[in-house]
Amino acid sequence: MEDLIPLTPQLWEATYETLYIVGLSLLFGGLGGLLLGIGLYTTRSGSILGNRAVFGTLNVIVNIFRPIPFIIFLAAAQPLARAVTGTGIGNSAIIFTLSLAATFGISRIVEQNLLTVQPGVIEAARSVGAGRLRIILTILIPEALGPLILGYTFIFVALVDMSAVAGSVGGGGLGNFAIQYGYRQFNPVVTWAAVIVIVLLVQAVQLLGNVLARRVLRR
Amino acid sequence: MPLISLRNVTKSFPPGRRGDPVVHAIDNVSLDIEAGEIFGIIGYSGAGKSTLVRLINALEKATSGEIVVDGHQVTNVPDRQLRTLRLDIGMIFQQFNLFNAKTVWNNVAYPLRVAGRTRDEIQARVTELLDFVGLADKASNYPEQLSGGQKQRVGIARALATSPKILLADEATSALDPETTHEVLRLLRRVNEELGITIVVITHEMDVIQTLATKVAVMDGGRIVEQGEVFDVFSNPREASSRRFVSTVVRGIPSPDELSVLRERHTGRIVTFSFRDGDSSQASVFLELAAAGVEFELVYGGINDIRGRAFGHLTLALTGQDAVITSTLQTMAGRIAVKELA
Ligand SMILES: Nc1ncnc2c1ncn2[C@@H]1O[C@H](COP(=O)(O)OP(=O)(O)OP(=O)(O)O)[C@@H](O)[C@H]1O
Ligand SMILES: [Mg+2]
Repeated sequence: MEDLIPLTPQLWEATYETLYIVGLSLLFGGLGGLLLGIGLYTTRSGSILGNRAVFGTLNVIVNIFRPIPFIIFLAAAQPLARAVTGTGIGNSAIIFTLSLAATFGISRIVEQNLLTVQPGVIEAARSVGAGRLRIILTILIPEALGPLILGYTFIFVALVDMSAVAGSVGGGGLGNFAIQYGYRQFNPVVTWAAVIVIVLLVQAVQLLGNVLARRVLRR
Repeated sequence: MPLISLRNVTKSFPPGRRGDPVVHAIDNVSLDIEAGEIFGIIGYSGAGKSTLVRLINALEKATSGEIVVDGHQVTNVPDRQLRTLRLDIGMIFQQFNLFNAKTVWNNVAYPLRVAGRTRDEIQARVTELLDFVGLADKASNYPEQLSGGQKQRVGIARALATSPKILLADEATSALDPETTHEVLRLLRRVNEELGITIVVITHEMDVIQTLATKVAVMDGGRIVEQGEVFDVFSNPREASSRRFVSTVVRGIPSPDELSVLRERHTGRIVTFSFRDGDSSQASVFLELAAAGVEFELVYGGINDIRGRAFGHLTLALTGQDAVITSTLQTMAGRIAVKELA
C-alpha cells in the first residue's frame, strides 16, 4: 500500500490519459462508424440509396477488418498510423489506430440498430416529401437513438479495454501504468489500483449510457 | 379530366434470388379516378393493390406506362419534383407508421417542416388538424401512449397537414377492431365531404367499401379485372375472378364446402335467388312458389345494403314435382337471377 501512495500523481495522470485516448477515439471512431454504418444501411438493396455494388464493397471491407484481433490490428496498422500522424508510437498513433478499429466495430452496431427502424416509418417520411438526408437526420437517427446510445456505451467499454492493450505496446494510460508500475515491479496493489479505476470508469459511463438511453426511450 | 390517371402502367420487380422469375406486380393497368371520389381497391393478397397505390405517389417507380396526377406527370420526373408532388398526396398505413421518437404534435408538424412553412403557419395548422381529428388534448403524447384508433387519427392528421388533394389509404383500418374501424371510417368520410379530398382506399373488408366507397376496382394478378359503381360490382360481378372475390366478402352465396353441408341436410333441389333492388321483390318469389305448390325452405342467405340500395342472395331447398319446379323456375328466370346449385 505504501508503494501506491507515491504513485498517486502517476495514477491520476494515467487516468486522464486513458480518458483522453478513449474520448478522442470514441469521437473519431464514433463519427467514422456512424457514417460507415449509415452507408451500409442506406445502400442495402431496397433502402433509400439502394446500390448493390457500393453495399457489397462496404460490407466486404467491414467484414475483413472488423474481426482482426486488436493487438494484431495495432501492429498491422502501424505503417498507416505513421503515415497519417507522423509517428508510429505514442498516443497520437494509438488514437488513430483505435479510431480506425472503432469505426469498423461501430459501423455494424449502427447498421444493426438502424435496421430495427420499421421500414414503414421511413416510407411515411418519404410519402410527405422528405429528402434522403433529411430522413437520415430527422427520422432514422432519432428513431434508433436509444439503442444507438447503448451501442456507443458498449464501444466505450471496448475502447477502454483496447486502450489498455495499446498501453502494453507504447501507449500511455491505465494499461501502461498497471504494467509499468504494477506488473514489472511485482506490485499487485498498484495493478489492482489501476483495475479499480478502470472498473469505476466503466461503471460510471455505463450508468450514464443507461440513463440517457432510458430517457430517450421514455422507459 | 380525371384527378388521377394511369395509362398502360406496368411494374415489375427484379427476382429476389437469381433464377427466380421477375414479379409482374402491376400488369398493364389503365385507371381513372375523378376528383371527389372515394375509390376502393379490393382483391386477394398479392394482387398488387399496395403497389398500385404506391405508384400514385411515386414511392415505387413504374416500369412502363404513364401516370398523371392533377395534371402533373409522375413517371420519369426528377426526385425533387416528386417531393413537391407528394405535398399534394397524403398517405395513411395499416401499421400507422407514426414517428415514435416524436410527439403527436411533431408528427403532424413534420410534413409542414419538410414543406418549409414558418413557425406561425405550423402552429396554426397543427392546432387546426388536431382539432379536426379530435386529439387536441394528446398533442404532447408519444405514439406508444395512444390507442390504435388514436394512432390512425394522428396518421390522418399528418397525411392532411399540407392540405393535399388526394389521400391514399392502404388497409388503414385492418389493424383496428370493428368499432374503432367505424370511427376512423366516419372521419375519412368527413375528410372527403368537408375537405373535398379524393380518397383511394385499399381494403379487404366489405364494410369499408360498403360504408365509404363510391367506385370500386377489383384487382387480380396485377390487373384490374372489373371496376365500376360499388353497387353494380358487388351485386352483379361480371368477371369470374371478381365473382370469386366478391362471394368471399358478400354474405349470401354458399361456398362449395357449405353447399355440400347443405346437401347432406336437405333433400330437394337447391336454388339461389339473387335480388337487386328494382328486381321483382322477394315476396313475389315466395308467392309464386307457393301458388305452384312447391314447398320451400330457406337454407342460406343474406341481404346487403350499399348506400341505401339493397341486394342479396337467398338459397332455398325446393321439394315437389320436378317438372313443376323446373317450369316455375323458368318463368321466374326472366325477372330475377335464378341459379340452381349442382
Ligand atoms: N419491393 C418488392 N420487391 C419484390 N416484389 C414485390 C415488392 N413489393 C411487392 N412485390 C410483389 O408484388 C406483388 C404484389 O404485391 P402487393 O404488396 O402490391 O400486393 P397487395 O395486393 O397489396 O397484397 P396484400 O393484400 O397482401 O397487401 C406480390 O407478388 C409481391 O410479392
Ligand atoms: Mg398490400
